[in-house]
Amino acid sequence: MAVLLAAFLAIAACSGDPGASTGAAPADETSAASTPQKGGEITVLEDSAFAGSWPTGLDPATNTTGGANIAMMGAIYGGLFLLTANGDGGDAKVTPNQAESYELLDGGKTVKIKIRRGVTFSDGTPFDAEAVVFNLKRNLGATCTCTPKWPLVKDGIDVEGGDTVVLRFTRPYASVINAFPISNVNWIVSPTALKQLGDDKFRVTPVGAGPFTVVSNQLSSELVLERNAQYFKDGLPYLDKLTFKSIGGDQAAYQALLAGQAHAYEGMNTVPLMEQAQSGGRLTVTMQPPTSPYVVQLNSKATPFDDERARQAIYYATDFEAIAKGLFKDRFPVSQSFTAPGGLFHHDAVPGYRGHDLARAKQLVQELGGLNVELGTLGNYVAKQVMIALQTQWQEAGITTTIKDYQLSTLVQQFNSGKWHAMLQTAGAWDPAGGVGVAFRFASTSPFSGVADKALDDMFAEAEGTVDPAERDAIYTKAGQYISDKSYAPFGLAFAPTNLTAKGVHGPGLTTRIPPLVVNSGVLWDEVWRSQ
Amino acid sequence: MAVVEAPPVPAADADEAAPRARTWTRGLGVAVPAALLALVAGACFLAPLVLPVPSPTGGNILEAGLPTGSPGHLLGTDPNGNDILSRILYGGQTSLIVAVTVNLLGLAVGGTLGALSGYVGGAADTVIMRLLDVLIAFPSLVLTLAVAQSLGPSLTNTILALGFFSVPAFARISRAATLSLREQPFMAAARLCGTKGWRVLLRHIAPNIAPQLTTFGMLGMGVVIVIEGALSFLGLGIPAPAPSWGNMISQGQASLSATPMLVLWPSLILFVTVLAFNLLGESLRTRWSVR
Amino acid sequence: MTAVAAGRHRGVGGRLFASPSVRLVGKRLLMAVPITLGVSILTFWVLNLIPGNAAQQLLGADATPEQIRAMELQLGLDKPAPLRYLDWLGGAVTGDLGRSLVSGQSVAGQLGERLAVTGELVAMAFVVSLLLAVPVALLAAYHPNRFFDRLSMFVSVTGLSVANYVLALVLVLVFAVRFAVFPAIGFVPLSESVGGNLHSLVLPSAAIGIPMFCLYTRFLRGDLVDQMQGQDYVVTAQAKGVGPWQVLLRHAFRNSSFGLITVVGLNLSTLIGATVIIEQIFALPGLGQLMLQAINTRDMAVVQACVVVFAVVAVLANLLTDLLYAVLDPRIRYGSR
Repeated sequence: MAVLLAAFLAIAACSGDPGASTGAAPADETSAASTPQKGGEITVLEDSAFAGSWPTGLDPATNTTGGANIAMMGAIYGGLFLLTANGDGGDAKVTPNQAESYELLDGGKTVKIKIRRGVTFSDGTPFDAEAVVFNLKRNLGATCTCTPKWPLVKDGIDVEGGDTVVLRFTRPYASVINAFPISNVNWIVSPTALKQLGDDKFRVTPVGAGPFTVVSNQLSSELVLERNAQYFKDGLPYLDKLTFKSIGGDQAAYQALLAGQAHAYEGMNTVPLMEQAQSGGRLTVTMQPPTSPYVVQLNSKATPFDDERARQAIYYATDFEAIAKGLFKDRFPVSQSFTAPGGLFHHDAVPGYRGHDLARAKQLVQELGGLNVELGTLGNYVAKQVMIALQTQWQEAGITTTIKDYQLSTLVQQFNSGKWHAMLQTAGAWDPAGGVGVAFRFASTSPFSGVADKALDDMFAEAEGTVDPAERDAIYTKAGQYISDKSYAPFGLAFAPTNLTAKGVHGPGLTTRIPPLVVNSGVLWDEVWRSQ
Repeated sequence: MAVVEAPPVPAADADEAAPRARTWTRGLGVAVPAALLALVAGACFLAPLVLPVPSPTGGNILEAGLPTGSPGHLLGTDPNGNDILSRILYGGQTSLIVAVTVNLLGLAVGGTLGALSGYVGGAADTVIMRLLDVLIAFPSLVLTLAVAQSLGPSLTNTILALGFFSVPAFARISRAATLSLREQPFMAAARLCGTKGWRVLLRHIAPNIAPQLTTFGMLGMGVVIVIEGALSFLGLGIPAPAPSWGNMISQGQASLSATPMLVLWPSLILFVTVLAFNLLGESLRTRWSVR
Repeated sequence: MTAVAAGRHRGVGGRLFASPSVRLVGKRLLMAVPITLGVSILTFWVLNLIPGNAAQQLLGADATPEQIRAMELQLGLDKPAPLRYLDWLGGAVTGDLGRSLVSGQSVAGQLGERLAVTGELVAMAFVVSLLLAVPVALLAAYHPNRFFDRLSMFVSVTGLSVANYVLALVLVLVFAVRFAVFPAIGFVPLSESVGGNLHSLVLPSAAIGIPMFCLYTRFLRGDLVDQMQGQDYVVTAQAKGVGPWQVLLRHAFRNSSFGLITVVGLNLSTLIGATVIIEQIFALPGLGQLMLQAINTRDMAVVQACVVVFAVVAVLANLLTDLLYAVLDPRIRYGSR
């Protein structure tokens, strides 16, 4: 009877199969990748639930979702610094872009950033130290999770010698440069254009010095950009036109790419679709190196998790290895700390980490006389599935678990209320000190932390201020060990989103690996090109 | 009184020669879909009690995404390792409860309001209908999101939100049907005989508008089941991991091209159910209208 | 037209004004005002129940309560709800829908662009579904329980049991991916290319229109059969020797159209609801997309404006429904009782 429906779905299913158009993908990639071509245009899709949502506009000082919109922000503003890596995501480092160089002085208490000469905004006005200082001051007062919390001394931002910006901190703050690419201070707007247009117009049609300029911008829907003729890098950008479109979900985006109406999709989450895209051979699938592991935050400031035994029970009841295998087909590694293989300071294991041990979990629950937990997460497809899997595992250990998925605004309220028990989140970043880094989830000052522990706060501050990478590594290792010993929050698999691109589209961060800054990788849009 | 009891029985039966055959077919018309529905409902409500059906939640994550026909999992498993057949059976309980309750709610409240409004007329009619107009013009999306974000998803909240929007629909249809009845001769006769208002409503209007409302309600069954699934996009609906046909479909669509079976199975059973409801509605209407 | 004007031009104007149908329209149009008002009040009240406000959205996740309070003051969100509503209403009646709390852009400007997309999408879905449903239902009802009737039932029940978001994805997989005949995403404005515009809306309007077509077909067919079998006027007509098609079209269909019109009018808001999901899947810059975002960011100014637009459309549709009743059935006299 339902042959009709079945037939439709059968046709639908076939269309995702390899089909005739597989082609010799690897050969095509290597030969073409070496010789970028100029011209052409591409349409990039962004998930409407995350990067495809920019309701407050694209001015770094007023965009509250800047951390999600790094693709658009990067295309319009470029950036003082960029995170670059070799093709497979190795040797990742923050390199000066519109900045020319930087120096750390006084053991990290003073930072001097030299601005590149000869850069102009797309409106023709000069991109100089004055403009940068104007922007830094403006952006530091912004309301975005991408606003860095700099421990500046009073009037700590200055111009020196016409082309150098000086930052003075109250304490050593060596990690400031690594945090640039994920914070709004990286994006410099033209002060002249801002004055001319006024705040409300500027946030729709902002003016920067990046590879592209804004043609039209329909908030959270479509952003059309064209080549910036005055871009400071010779011969770049390659593309004439770049369009960002917001789309509802991975399946719709995948289909639009197959149909040829779009050329790239950032941040695919859905594992079955990743597999299908990979086996289909019609699209290039680029898995980014993971930098942020899942973490089950436990609110150690309130019952039931103010009792260390309850937290231990969660550690023992949780089996992320099984989730990584069942839900993610072993595509992503499991972390025991707030770092992941694609980021800095990662170590595979934490000695003494409490792994899955059902018997001990049960025993602890019994000792406690039962354990009732409410587990929440931000409602996206992957997180919800992980949450359901955790619920199953915990219930096996006798922990009564109710689950709830939140929207961003309700999640914030829940955190602020202090009444939450457990939250499934991601922790860490490429550099644990930057962005939604480790302090965001574990420092006593963060509203999103379930931990208030002076010892941990001190470790984070010390690590932020340390210049020497080896020393920082030692401190973060110690912090990871401390979190594990105190059973503050079990870590899980380090998920990294995947980019889908049409054949013939190439670009660093899009078809090559660059460690993701917060969620998506920072694509270097000026070097994205398309074979004609 | 006998005159005004109902419209005269039409002598339209062209094939008067085979009245027996007709009654028999008509009987079958009710029996077959009723049996089908009983089968679906029985499978959903009774089978899990009698047969060793695995739990619809808490599946083994290491058995996630098994294909149809896997040993122990006839229809395979979902991404969390839950048995799909079991989810369809348990999910059917929820979906059927939601569909039936919502439509009964609409039928009872909306049907009465509409009939009353249409029959009484005048100021009461104006007030009732304008209030319902406000409800109809009020976008369901806003209410749904408000309920979802302030009360949270649950079976009761879902039924209330869906019911809220089925009431004006039933009311309008019921009123329209009543209006066209009001001027019919048998109604005038009833009025002339001095039959009391509520009695007219109950004995003359209700049976005559029942066919239209039933058709609408039967059509509404499938629609309600599907919309319940769509609500989960907006944060309402049956909260995971508990299954319903609607949320199985809406979860499955996230990877439709890669795992079409996750959508196909619940859609199939939904199709059978909607078909049965439709056939039943039709047969019942035929019965009622040909007295 | 005012009473004075009517008085002066007794000729044409007077006659027109005295005409019952014009009075009916006037009366119902007047009635539309309190309804729209009612909807806007209801919306304001319901949105107030949702936790969080635009200030929080503007200040981001880790704003302090003091910052939020200051921003609420700046946005005027500290005032009591009834006062805020009156402020909004004061602007709205003078055509000023205000500025978005979140983006600072003019609400009217944002609505204009998007209304065209959604309006076109809904109109296309609606017209096509209705144009298909009527002949199919007539054909099916002409010979109940024969092959064509059964086929139409099969198709429409299938359509009723497929969720529109699944249908949308399947349509794209078949008609955009497998056979590249229609685009999978995007919207071509009418001003750019008429053909391109229609082309870009085929799949999205089909995803919305097909379930509607199925619903209309089922409903109309059922009602037609009901009329043909039971109603005495049909019997009378048949007895008078009127042909079966004549009876079906002139008598049964005319009566059944009441029910259909009601269902169609009711479905308008469902149709609008469907655009929210469909616009997401097809990346269409429409009103549904805007409204969902605005609710998520608690951008009251935008939500209110969207709701009022929807409400006005729904009220007009209902008005049209009632007028059609009167036109189709002269027995129904408004205001005569």
